[in-house]
Amino acid sequence: MRDDAPVRLRSRSPVEGLERRRLRPLEVVAQSVSGAAPSAAMAATPAIVAVSAGHGTVWSFVIATVLALLIAGCIARFTRRMAASGGLYSLTAKGLTPAAAYASALASLLGYGLLAAAALVGAIVYLDALIGEVVGATPGRAGAAVIMAVIGLGTAVLVLRGARLSARVVLAVESVSITLMLIVFSLLLAGGPAAGAPAEPTAMPPPGAGGILAGVLPALAAFIGFEIATALGTEVRKPFRSVPRAVGLTAAVTGVLYVFAAQVQVFGFSATPGGLAGQTEPVVALAAANGWGWLPVLLDLGLVMSFFACCLAASTALARVLFSLSRDRVAPRVMGRTHRRFRTPHVAIAASVPVTTGLPVVLLAAGVPLMSVLVTMLTLAACGFLLAYLLVCAAAPVFLHRIGELTWPAVAVSAVIVPILLVVLVAFVVTRPLSGVLLGGLAVLGAVGYLLLRLRRPAALAAIGVYDETTTGDVLFPHRGAA
Amino acid sequence: MTGPIPLSGRQPKAVRSALHVLEEVVSAGPGVTAKEISESLAMPQATTYRILNLLVAEEYLVRLPDLSGFALGRRAGRLALPATTALNTAARAVVDHMRGQTRWAVHLASYAGEQIALIDPDPDHPAPDAGQLARFPYAFALGRLLLAEQADWRALVRELRPFTARTVTSESDLDRTLKAVARDGVARQCGEVREDRGCIAVPIRGPRDGRLVAGLALAGPTARIAEPNEEIIRLLRDHAARLAPLLA
Repeated sequence: MRDDAPVRLRSRSPVEGLERRRLRPLEVVAQSVSGAAPSAAMAATPAIVAVSAGHGTVWSFVIATVLALLIAGCIARFTRRMAASGGLYSLTAKGLTPAAAYASALASLLGYGLLAAAALVGAIVYLDALIGEVVGATPGRAGAAVIMAVIGLGTAVLVLRGARLSARVVLAVESVSITLMLIVFSLLLAGGPAAGAPAEPTAMPPPGAGGILAGVLPALAAFIGFEIATALGTEVRKPFRSVPRAVGLTAAVTGVLYVFAAQVQVFGFSATPGGLAGQTEPVVALAAANGWGWLPVLLDLGLVMSFFACCLAASTALARVLFSLSRDRVAPRVMGRTHRRFRTPHVAIAASVPVTTGLPVVLLAAGVPLMSVLVTMLTLAACGFLLAYLLVCAAAPVFLHRIGELTWPAVAVSAVIVPILLVVLVAFVVTRPLSGVLLGGLAVLGAVGYLLLRLRRPAALAAIGVYDETTTGDVLFPHRGAA
Repeated sequence: MTGPIPLSGRQPKAVRSALHVLEEVVSAGPGVTAKEISESLAMPQATTYRILNLLVAEEYLVRLPDLSGFALGRRAGRLALPATTALNTAARAVVDHMRGQTRWAVHLASYAGEQIALIDPDPDHPAPDAGQLARFPYAFALGRLLLAEQADWRALVRELRPFTARTVTSESDLDRTLKAVARDGVARQCGEVREDRGCIAVPIRGPRDGRLVAGLALAGPTARIAEPNEEIIRLLRDHAARLAPLLA
């Protein structure tokens, strides 16, 4: 026995109260896939990427997929070794300073909060369109606000009733949504290019290397939310296998879906002047060109379902991050409570879902156009996620070095991905001035919060990063170890 | 990128390495680091890390809170058969004394390595089926003592199968039952394995650490077991307390 290294184990996990080790691996994959909301990105993102990448649109998505896989690899360095409820910030805390972990926590809160709100807005936008197509009349602004509040309430109930129930709903909804999208895109592929003025088949910008790289920016933003599984580490069975797999698999699957969707759309508009880049609603336009007026109904149904699943998954993750921050004593203590029967962080849910639902309802009531709300929210969320990814990728090799398990591939991957993410993040903020201003304001608020915390609770800040530690109950012969 | 290569039967070297790593953690003791294991086994570092992560993922090993040290996980305890400890004379005398106090069957079970083993079944009565007791612990009073001790009992229960109409088969009912067992320090089942038989069991805990080491059970007719039986439970607890220093 090693007398020099006494082993001290807690008898209870610091994140006790959540339902430990219950979710099935597939349910966690579903949460992560829904977080990325591939259906919406399949329909909308290729046209945005095409503005800069032109015929190279597919390549932008291929590069973005590789980057997402590299990020997943960095996250896996942690999730193969620890199970957390706070998502990326809990992981970052094990490699970088408390300040970096705090920044990651704020970035995650911003990301998940705005993702949940944006998904709610997206669900309403397409539900509105769907009702318009089927019934012929739209519910109007007041009606939309009511529907939004009802969906928000439904989300709160499902997330509260337990990780398993919401995971199953997410799995079912997302499966249907992706199936619908695959049907829609396969039909479009079979339908051939839309007829246009055939004189100028290559009116899209030439696919220079610079254009393709610029296209990576929006393409990478289509992946945000794919890491949601990391916030469910405590609750999934065999977390050290399930979580890294869920994140890696989500990056791969959504990447393949995006490349497929981009290829279909580039091909579909190959004979149209301006190509894909000139389209605002490419899928609808392609369907119209084929004379399929009913196809947008399928598309909108898939989008509504995808956005709803995304809202559920993001709300689940948001509540877990708040819960974990509370157990870290960084957020108010009451948010660390868990419901006795449902074993979910009910106070954190009650504090967060009304905000993520209320914000879009207020904006809708104020008459702000929903589409611009959706775009702005997603842009801000993407900035939050990119910052969190940047930090966790930088933390990975430091963490491995700290526990004495550093290998050269870990260093190499981080050396490649960290500068790229830094450039992407800066480019993202610079090219969107409104987001830059809003983010600057949030950063100032965050810094003030950090300073206050450092003054008031320096010990809590220094120890930030609780995770589901090994407890006496997990070890064989725990008492022998303490000798 | 998507994780370590899955082990198949065609990779004898990997299986062998995994067993060596497991053995090294046992002999070095809790807190041994990946680097130390890699050095003492003369195994490449990357291989060692991959195997360690795999063993942690399968819960044979756990990482200690510093995340760099390893120890045996609870699942590793299931690799070894429970040592059939020959009961010492003093302990046997206590159990026999209990048998003298009642006309019902008195059984003693050990929980070494988280597995239930009947170490002193009543010679004058039919003993519960050892295989069933191991596979369906939730239906037995002795099994419920073990389950109530777990952080998550689901790890030890594969399926909830009914034996009689009374068997608890819903997860939430069982959860409630086990919470009551943990609270009251006594487990009971009435006609859940066989219609006409029931059982009461009390835990025997190590006097130093309070860890569950064994269970003392009393089996009798269902209707009689269902009664409060305060006197007989007091007697069982009394004998359990006398057994504790003799078994731990």
